[in-house]
Order: sequence, then C-alpha cells, then structure tokens
Amino acid sequence: MREPVQERAAGFARHILRRETHSPRSAASFIAAILVAAIALYCMLETVLSGLGQPTWFISPGRAMQWVADLPGDAPRLLLGAAGLLLALVGLIFFCHGVLPGRRARHVLRHPRVAIVVDDEVVASALAKTARMSAGVTREQVMVVVSARQVQVIVRPTSGIPLMEERIQAAVEARLNAMSLDPVPSVSVKLAESGVVGV
Amino acid sequence: MNGTPRALNRIILTLIGLLLIIAGAGVLTLAAVPAAASWWQDYAQRQLDWLLGVEDHTRLLLTSQSWIWLAVAAVFLIVVIGMVTWIGNQGKGRASTLLDYQGNPDDDGAAGAVRLSCAVAEQALKSALQERTDLVGVTVASYDFRKQTAIKIRVLPRQGVSPHVVASDITDLVAALDKLLGFEVPILLSIGSGARSRFTKAERVR
Repeated sequence: MREPVQERAAGFARHILRRETHSPRSAASFIAAILVAAIALYCMLETVLSGLGQPTWFISPGRAMQWVADLPGDAPRLLLGAAGLLLALVGLIFFCHGVLPGRRARHVLRHPRVAIVVDDEVVASALAKTARMSAGVTREQVMVVVSARQVQVIVRPTSGIPLMEERIQAAVEARLNAMSLDPVPSVSVKLAESGVVGV
Repeated sequence: MNGTPRALNRIILTLIGLLLIIAGAGVLTLAAVPAAASWWQDYAQRQLDWLLGVEDHTRLLLTSQSWIWLAVAAVFLIVVIGMVTWIGNQGKGRASTLLDYQGNPDDDGAAGAVRLSCAVAEQALKSALQERTDLVGVTVASYDFRKQTAIKIRVLPRQGVSPHVVASDITDLVAALDKLLGFEVPILLSIGSGARSRFTKAERVR
C-alpha cells in the first residue's frame, strides 16, 4: 500500500523537475498570440465592412486576394524576395521555439523528499567564493562559468604570488560534490597568463 | 509548476512557424523563379474566379452583398477569441485549499470536515525563512498541479551562499512541516538569483 503512493510521489516530483528545468515558452506564445490576434482583427474588420457593403478601410478582401493571386505582379522583385525571406525567418524563430527543448540554466539537487532546482548563477557564485578562498585572491580575480555539464573557473593570480592549480581544483570539486548536482558537471580550472598588479 | 499549457504552446508555435516558413518560402520562390510565378498566377486565378462565382451566388437580398464575407469574419472572430484564451491560460493554477478531509465511519466515526488553507503552510515556511540573513528574497506559493496541491518555495540567496546549505536547512523545515500537518505535500524548492541578490553585498560573517 505504501509503495505505490511513494512511486506516484516520485513520478510527480520528476514531472515537476522536468517542467522547472525547461522553458514554458510563455513569452514566445504571448508574442505569437498578439500577432495572430492583431492580423485576425484587421481581417475581420475588412470582411465585415465588405459583407455590409460599406466602404473599405484600406483594401477590400476581394482586391487583396486578387493582389495575392497576381504575385509577383508589378512589385519590385528584390523587395518581394526580401519580404519572403523575412517572413520565413520569423517563422523559423517560432518553429525553433516550438521544437527545441529550451533547457533553462538550472541544475537539479537530488533529494528524496523535496524537488530542488538551483539556478546556475547561484552555483557559480558559490563556487567562485570557494575558489577565491582557496586561492587567496580578491573577488574581481575569479570568474566562474557554469553550464549544464561543465564548470569553468578562471583565476587571475596576483603578480608575484604563484597559485596552485590543483589546490583550487580540489577545493572547487569538493564543494561541487557536496552540492550533488544532477547532471554532474566537470571542473576545469584555468590560471590566466597575466597577473594582476596592485590588489 | 503552474498550469501553463506547455504542450499547447509548443504545438501552436510550431504550427505558426511552419505556416510562416511555407508562406515566406513561397513568396521568395515567386520573386526568384519566373516559371513558378506563371504557374501560381494561373492556379490562383482559377481559385479566385471560383470564389468570386460563389460570392455572386450568395448575395443577400437585403444588402445585396454576399454573406460569405460575414462567415469569414466570424471565423476570424473565433481566431481572436482563441488567441485571447491562449494568453489567458499562461501561468494560472494558483491553489487556495491545502487539504479537504471529510470525516467518515472508517476513521474514528466523527462527523464533520477538516479544511486547511494553503496559507497555513505558506505562512509557516515564509516566516521561518524571512529570519535568515543569507536570503534576500522568499516567495511561497501554492499551485494545483495534476489534481494535487503542491507548494513552491522560491528563495534568492546572497552572493556566494552555497545552495546545498540553504537546501538542507529548508528540507529540515519541510520535515518539521510534515510533522505539523501529518501528511506530505509535494514541495518544489527553487533557489535562484534576482537583481536584488546580484546587487546586495555578499555575506561575510554568519
């Protein structure tokens, strides 16, 4: 009796985590909906005017369709081609938004009870602090980039004070292991060629 | 984990994208290939002639205009309503009742009902988290998701705070909440960074 309940809870958590780590595409949907609604409103206006026998606002539906049927007509070819290309590009953007997975810059923290997601920015700033402490440099000398499967630590040493790359690497890896992220990123530490003077 | 219709978003976006790509590629072909242009003019003119014929047959006595324009207008109206509904469905799904339990004879025989508002859990978690100095922002909200009420905790830690430390403290709080309520609510903890955590000072002493 207890098993199925827990299994269902795990499935629920998995579903929530999947939603939290992927973009809902709300912004693109909003723009697309506004665009389509605006075009449909205008078309509605013209067709109603035409249906009631009133003078048209810009162009009557019959004339508009005639113009489309006569394409390319006397429109400048270059302009028409550019318009077609632009239309296809906008379509491609919407299409990609619909089809691509749209992963957010987030990681999952494994926990049996609570579904936890962390923004990569938070992970980066925590790792930057660790790297800074182990290298003994100031905040401005450390840069950390966190992506789905990789953590890049770039340290600019103070001129004249050598730094041990392995020590920084070990410290950052230890902190990263303590976080138990999913997926687990690999750490690469780079020391900048040029040092910093006067810190 | 709100009720945003994600699958619908993607389906409609893909459809709109495909339509625009086809239309754009078609216009591009018409502009570039003269053979395609003459074929199109021939084909489209025939369709248009048919449509104008229909229009001639369907004129109303009253206005002497065709009713097909009004029918097309109705279709456009449906499209507009559909688009507005689509926008309205983004991000909804807030819940207000955490538990609605009806007393029954199998239990202890007592009649009556227990109803817990979501505010119980929200306020308990929020007041516990607002005391912390390493968090600059705390939001707790409840959502109905897949016929189940779930709580979302969003915290914005200061720069340099380790997420797993924050997470383990909050999971302890959740365990305490479970004991308090007597049942487990699905909980999502989202640790993020906002403008406030970016521009406030890093915590040096704790």
